[in-house]
Amino acid sequence: MASQVYYDDVSVGQEIPSLTKDVNTVNILMYVAVVWLMDRIHFDSPYAVKRRGLPDVVAPGNMAGDYYAQLLTGWAGEKGRLRKLGLQFRNFMVPGNVLTCGGRITAKTVEDGKGRVDLDLWIKNQDGVVCVPGKGVVELPIRAAQ
Amino acid sequence: MGSLLDKLGWRKFVGHEYPAHTGEPVLARDIRRYALAIDDDNPIFFDEAAAKAGRYGGLTAPLNYISWAVGVPGAEKRTKDLGEDGLSSFVGVPDIPGAWSLGWVRGGEELEFFKPVHVNDRVTVRGRVTGVTEKIGKSGTLIFVSSEFTYTNQNDEMLAKHVVTMIASPRKEQAQ
Repeated sequence: MASQVYYDDVSVGQEIPSLTKDVNTVNILMYVAVVWLMDRIHFDSPYAVKRRGLPDVVAPGNMAGDYYAQLLTGWAGEKGRLRKLGLQFRNFMVPGNVLTCGGRITAKTVEDGKGRVDLDLWIKNQDGVVCVPGKGVVELPIRAAQ
Repeated sequence: MGSLLDKLGWRKFVGHEYPAHTGEPVLARDIRRYALAIDDDNPIFFDEAAAKAGRYGGLTAPLNYISWAVGVPGAEKRTKDLGEDGLSSFVGVPDIPGAWSLGWVRGGEELEFFKPVHVNDRVTVRGRVTGVTEKIGKSGTLIFVSSEFTYTNQNDEMLAKHVVTMIASPRKEQAQ
């Protein structure tokens, strides 16, 4: 477990440690199977390419939300938590992509005795293309209040 | 170019409520497999002992699993009853006449999390259409449909709020 990050120790403009995710057909298949998502663009390559004009099968956009949740829940630690997540689906995440999920703190405030941190978020592929930009709100513990 | 939205007559669906729907109890197996799919190795998703010792006192689902914890009403159909694209329903596509004559892509979403989903929870979703707008551009017409959903558990505790914006356009090539 990473050590706990505290509200007191973060500053506006700071980048949080990034998370790397590989997009591949096995993970996509696991995902659509477990949630019963039968949209053929996620598993039928000839259909995706020939009928829908896509570069390949594409990862469900939801997976971006999961990557951000993993990034921010991991960063917030055992005493912090993810409160809000906003996502915009701009470019597809496709097999072979190596994604960097990152964030930068844009604001920090104390609300009801709890530390609130706002972040701009990005998921970039290996070519630097932002696939799913986002915004997050994370609650962090305050050292003085411990 | 005339208004596609006027032609469809969808403006009146602002405020339209989705039927409330309660899912079956959430399975530990589904949570574990979901965590594998998203490659998240947090033990609170699959290690019962670690999860019990943690702050939630038991196995919980990844936060973004919330909409799947209910299941998508109408998604479970025989193959012959699915559209060519494999879909018959989708979160954020309202059940209004003509909806599936258009192609849909997801524009964006906003989630607010209050409490996590636990194993064996029965999650209820309630939702309504909050906005229907149209943008006529060079490459054609886009229709934006926003919906707001709330998720509660069997104890009526609020788990999450979810705003989804879907974008519809006349079918040619579209995705997601």
